[in-house]
Amino acid sequence: MSLLRNVARGLRSLFRKERVDRELDEEMGAYLEMAAAEKMKDGLSHKEALRAVRLEQGTLEVTKEIVRSGGWEFVVDTLWRDLLFAFRLLRKNPGSTAAVVVALALGMGLNTTVFSFVNALLLRPPRGVKAPEQLREVWIHNPRSSGAEAYLPMTYPDYFYYRDHNQSFEGMLAYDFDPHLVIWNKSDEGQTVLGQLVSGNFFSLLGVNAVLGRTISAEDDQTANPQPVVVLGYAFWRRYFGSDSTIVGKTLTLNGANYGVIGVAPAGFTGLLVGFEPDFWAPTAMVEQITRDKGRLSNWRVHWLIAIGRLKTEASTSGARAEASVLEHQIDMDHPDLKRNLDATVFPATLIPAPLRVYVSAFTALLMAAFGFVLLIACANVASFLLARSTRRTREMAVRAALGAGRGRVIQQMLVESTLLSSLAGLLGLILAYWTAPLLLALKPASLPITLRLPIDWRVLVFTVIVSLICGVVFGLTPALRSASVSVVANLKDETQPAGFRQSRLRSLLMTGEIATCTVLLICGTLCVRSLRNASSINPGFNTQHVIAATLDPGSLGYSDTQVRTFYEQLSEHVRTLPGVTATSFTDHLPLGPAREHTILDPMQPKSNKNDAIPIDILRVAPDYFQTMGISLLRGRDFISSEGAEGSAVTIINEALAKRLWKNQDPVGQRMTFWAGPGKKSSTEVIGVVPTGKYRTLGEAPVPVVYLPQLRARRTLVVRTSGDPTTLLDSIRREIHSVDPNIAPTDLETMQQYMSLPLFPARTTGLLLGVSGFLALALTTIGLFGVISYIVSQRTHEIGVRVALGAQRTDVLNLIIRHGLLLTVIGLVIGLGIAFGAGHLLSSLLYGIAPTDPATFIAVAIVLCAVVFLACYIPARRAISVDPLVALRYE
Amino acid sequence: MSDKPSDLVQGTLDMLILKTLALEPTHGYGISVRIEQMSKGVFRLNAGSLFLAIQRLERDGLIEGEWKPTENNRRAKYYALTHKGRKRLDNETREWGRQVAAIARILEAS
Repeated sequence: MSLLRNVARGLRSLFRKERVDRELDEEMGAYLEMAAAEKMKDGLSHKEALRAVRLEQGTLEVTKEIVRSGGWEFVVDTLWRDLLFAFRLLRKNPGSTAAVVVALALGMGLNTTVFSFVNALLLRPPRGVKAPEQLREVWIHNPRSSGAEAYLPMTYPDYFYYRDHNQSFEGMLAYDFDPHLVIWNKSDEGQTVLGQLVSGNFFSLLGVNAVLGRTISAEDDQTANPQPVVVLGYAFWRRYFGSDSTIVGKTLTLNGANYGVIGVAPAGFTGLLVGFEPDFWAPTAMVEQITRDKGRLSNWRVHWLIAIGRLKTEASTSGARAEASVLEHQIDMDHPDLKRNLDATVFPATLIPAPLRVYVSAFTALLMAAFGFVLLIACANVASFLLARSTRRTREMAVRAALGAGRGRVIQQMLVESTLLSSLAGLLGLILAYWTAPLLLALKPASLPITLRLPIDWRVLVFTVIVSLICGVVFGLTPALRSASVSVVANLKDETQPAGFRQSRLRSLLMTGEIATCTVLLICGTLCVRSLRNASSINPGFNTQHVIAATLDPGSLGYSDTQVRTFYEQLSEHVRTLPGVTATSFTDHLPLGPAREHTILDPMQPKSNKNDAIPIDILRVAPDYFQTMGISLLRGRDFISSEGAEGSAVTIINEALAKRLWKNQDPVGQRMTFWAGPGKKSSTEVIGVVPTGKYRTLGEAPVPVVYLPQLRARRTLVVRTSGDPTTLLDSIRREIHSVDPNIAPTDLETMQQYMSLPLFPARTTGLLLGVSGFLALALTTIGLFGVISYIVSQRTHEIGVRVALGAQRTDVLNLIIRHGLLLTVIGLVIGLGIAFGAGHLLSSLLYGIAPTDPATFIAVAIVLCAVVFLACYIPARRAISVDPLVALRYE
Repeated sequence: MSDKPSDLVQGTLDMLILKTLALEPTHGYGISVRIEQMSKGVFRLNAGSLFLAIQRLERDGLIEGEWKPTENNRRAKYYALTHKGRKRLDNETREWGRQVAAIARILEAS
């Protein structure tokens, strides 16, 4: 009640200020008159009485001000007036205001962009899900391993055990960790679509209802009798079925089998994985049919399901974690044959599976740090700008103090000004982020089936507001405190005040810090850009210019071995006759991609060598692969097509392996043995040697590799072209379709496009850190230029005196430049030291360049010195070109 | 020393104003005169702190103001205690009595 009244009164004073003022006036006037009337009883005249009262009580205006300042509305009122004043002040210097705001906005905009990235990946809860904060991921954990590889998803039997034995969760759902690229067989063509397999309680536990039809139910997902049904994604339904409202009950042919459409998911619901928008959902129990992997449902060794529980209101995460550990232990006890010895743990569920969060956080933290430093430099600029201005305004502050403004009021005024600046910058930064965020996404390789949105939602807004306010206070506080401690008398007496020693020391400190930060960023940026150039020029060991790759999987349609072989033979013939194609071949998977097959060499064979088991990567290739990929045969011969049959024991190895096994011997004709499966050894004869390439990452040390001629149903077609490969992409797609209209390539791209995947980390860091380094340099230059210009303008008088007294122009020039260079050298030394110490943080991202590369350090130092020299030289030139007479008269 | 007006104990001004108004509604000047009279000149109010306190009490709903003509034909705002104000005065008087008695006991103990 009384609070309401208080607010109402305050509002009345704010908006009906004149009336309230008049009433206060009248009340005080009455008081004055009555007090005077009392005095007149003692025989004073009216005038004398009024004077006596004023002497006793102080002037009416001050009293009124005291009364006014009692209400909360007073603070609002003064803030408003400070704001108006600050606006006027900024409008008076549009040039410098714009410079400061733009510099800050660049810093803030980039930070907002990176934050919108963090937000989309780590903070946003899944859309369209009921109470997502109650969801917890359950992961099996291998205590003997570390990093993301220590965490395993669940096997199908695992999931059932956890689901039925836990007490912490209201319910537990599961979904497939890997997106399934499935061929949708339309009447005359195949198209790849993304599917996700989900448990029967997936939709009900998430509280997601179908917009049309129904969602997948527990009855659909029975292990013994799974139903071939799908729920369509909303976007997919709209795009390919034109929002057909009669879709429920129709049939889709996926990988050659029929599925009945039972419903459509609501708009905006895309499951629980970031960047992955399924076209359809199907029951997990259908996995054997979709992947043609028999026995998956009873397999205790294939880990493929992410399990998510909805925590009961009375349960805690730590309780659930302890329970998961116990359940895992029970599985180990019940199945001693598995020899698992694993543990289990629980994490809050977000759009990125828990084990991968560390990597995403580390990457975004690096970006945040880099752009945070850019922002810091921008803040230092603004702080020195405001400091310079506060020196010019000492008189204004002295007048304010003399008129009774308290210390708090002056600080408030200055902080309002600085936060106004930073808020304007924040606003501009948001607009900037809106434009730059999609650019960040453009770095993503097109081949990744990831759709990421970087919306500017309330979290991003709150972030920007907080950053703006913090910046405003951080760079405004020093000048504000400085202004508040102005000595009234000295400033009102004196016309000009020389820039105080303390103040210029503070500014010098700011500049030094700025240069040190700039040095660090510039070095990191240069290292990353050079590393990107190195990475782009790393020879991956195959031709990236004139090759096209297309991934095909007729096996997923249930084709027999003969059908698969016929398909590939026909396809090969068709493609080979295309004009511009010089060679074609097949491989199991391309190097530098996500797929890998590896084993170890049997240490007993060959006898001639050391007894260590050598881990090797296996690549399966058809004849002509080396020719197509532009890999030369160093020794021996290529495979022939008859060797593709199961049981033929020939292999081609790379140089790295040849050197380890037979240092001084000809490897061709030698035999070796490797493990081809649990308890299964395979002995083969080496028929050829090829040069070592890059197989896992571009930066790797030489990896020993064996090439085998046996291929499986899933293959990648590689095509060598004589001219620009992009012109052939469409004709290859047409050929695939004409050979078998049911088959569609899951990836069809040129090798150049394919290489954007392994180059992704280098490109992202190179671009972003390069940009941050460049921005840092630009901002530091502007800041330094401004400060030196200001110092020079303050010292015009002094310079005039020096020149009048016969100082040489070069002396004056030296004087000014020496100051700037001294700051630079100190900052540079500090910055180089930090960069030297912190460089190893970058080392995992760098290709072919040491984090302490001396050339980079020296180049950055030289560039920075040159830029600083210019930033000092230009204002210094201006100073000495001033006529001493003018300078002396200047005041 | 004892002749000079002394400063009010922190927080007691509100109570004194409420007490004054409990006797009879009056205007700002009336309050200050009455407090001075009743305290026999020990407390002399400054206009600034008086009106600040009045504004605060009015906002809290403890007193109510009304414009009325004065004896010498000016307009002044007369303040009266509200029901809530009377309750607050009773509470504070009781609390004050307790505290004074306690302080007195402590001081007499030595």
